[in-house]
Amino acid sequence: MKALDLRCEGLVLSRPVTGGAFVDVSLPPGSAMVVVGRNGAGKSTLLHTVSGLLSSTEGQVRVGGRPVHAIDARERAQWISLVTSTPPKPAGLTVADVVALGAKAGGRELDAASLRAELEVAGIAQWAKMSLDTLSDGMAQRVMVARAGVQSKSVMLLDEPTAFLDLVGREDVMSQVGRWKGDERILMVATHDLVAVAEAGWSTHWLHVHPGRGRGATLHEGPLDVEQARAALRTDSA
Amino acid sequence: MSRSSGLSLALGGFALLLFAIGWWSGPAALTWEDQWAALRDGNGMAGTILWKLRLPRILLAALSGSALALAGLLMQAYFKNPLAGPSVLGVTSGSTLGVALVSLGGVALGQPFGLAGTVVGALLGAWGVMVLLGAVVGWFRSRSALLIFGLMVGYLTGAMVTVLQAGADAGALQAFVVWGMGSFARGDGLSVTVMAVSLSLATGWAFRHRDALDMWLLGPVTARSMGVQERSLTGFLLGITGGLAALVTAWCGPVAFLGLATPHLVRALYREGRTGRLLLPVLLMGAVLSLFADLTVRFTAVPLNAVLSMVGAPVVLWLLIRQSKIPSA
Repeated sequence: MKALDLRCEGLVLSRPVTGGAFVDVSLPPGSAMVVVGRNGAGKSTLLHTVSGLLSSTEGQVRVGGRPVHAIDARERAQWISLVTSTPPKPAGLTVADVVALGAKAGGRELDAASLRAELEVAGIAQWAKMSLDTLSDGMAQRVMVARAGVQSKSVMLLDEPTAFLDLVGREDVMSQVGRWKGDERILMVATHDLVAVAEAGWSTHWLHVHPGRGRGATLHEGPLDVEQARAALRTDSA
Repeated sequence: MSRSSGLSLALGGFALLLFAIGWWSGPAALTWEDQWAALRDGNGMAGTILWKLRLPRILLAALSGSALALAGLLMQAYFKNPLAGPSVLGVTSGSTLGVALVSLGGVALGQPFGLAGTVVGALLGAWGVMVLLGAVVGWFRSRSALLIFGLMVGYLTGAMVTVLQAGADAGALQAFVVWGMGSFARGDGLSVTVMAVSLSLATGWAFRHRDALDMWLLGPVTARSMGVQERSLTGFLLGITGGLAALVTAWCGPVAFLGLATPHLVRALYREGRTGRLLLPVLLMGAVLSLFADLTVRFTAVPLNAVLSMVGAPVVLWLLIRQSKIPSA
């Protein structure tokens, strides 16, 4: 997998209808950007737009120079993976099955040994044979983060991955995210969980999405600063 | 040997055993000599019984059971609802209404449409309900709401069927009522061929899209982000399941519970979630159950749907009770 950069060029989000935040950011390979913003500011919309699942009103997202909406869904899955906030827990599918599916979505068929190796890297090998419905929400979400990490080595999007988790679950998931921080992969994580992100310590950028039409988003270089982010969020009227 | 192939071998063996019992037993006590003669020359009395009556019936039963089981497996995956199945969600009811419109309404109009009309009516009825289900599934947050939806569709179509029955002539009405009890006895070369071809195509589709179906279990947004083409997957899935349920209904009547119960019996024996691994055991289990049910019908003269409901309804109750112990997703 080659290192790809991610650019949001003059992006106007199609939702929230009253918001339509304007986003213009460029991320080099290896970046880990935290997306913060009040409820309804458009964090999820931004991630869904970057993932190519939702089209923007204006502007475009480019991964490695290619507009994401122009890439075929099958191929796009190799470059961009997404974790939603609700971990699915279907009966019968095991942790190993899900990670193997992630590899298939990424265009690779894993043999038993390399699947085992991926599970080891993700730190979830001990659950390999457990069915998803028997895991706690936090464990299931860590599996989904691992699945996304195996699926795409280029861009990995996480949409409020800890929204429904308890304290331990939040910390575990955020440090799980850190396992996928490398020299090449771009991480984009929308979250309200600033403390857990700051403690996990993998962020290189943070983007503050302002609610309200035309107010846009502010990109901050450097790791997430909880106090600064808190003060900035307080200035947004919800 | 893996658990999967062990289970499939056992089910396959069991299906063959039931096949053999079905072949050898019946009201006409055929001797070994009769059977041997029939195998060499199919034109005698024994030949007619074996080749024209028993064999098509056995084959139609096995194929219909497999088809409904596959429809149930796919519907349970699509709706992420273990209680989904063609008969519970109103698909079979839709087919029944289609058949009633053609057979009762057609006779009333002085235009009996025959077999082709019945099949078309069943297909249109099933696909109508499928389109409706696909349109409303997003509205229902709870699993039971979808079941109540299916129940209401059943009531609605039932009422329309009653209206048609009230206006129907005695002969057509009697034929319709007998059809409604369900039976595999109407098997013939055509029905067996159509079922075999449709089931093969459906199985091929499911096997080809096994990974996409597994990804679908992770939720629609995640599935799409993994490259699943939602529209084509759901369109084909609903079309195929509706088609299978409709074809079975057209020839065998509205067969209850087989689609819902079969995947659960497989899962009870074999803890597996991957569609690719479940396909063969589910198809075989469907054949075993319907062959068994048909033998029960032949030995006891109780109508098929009575047999299936007596077994199927307790299975659903058991699932409901077991589910209520697990916090719903």
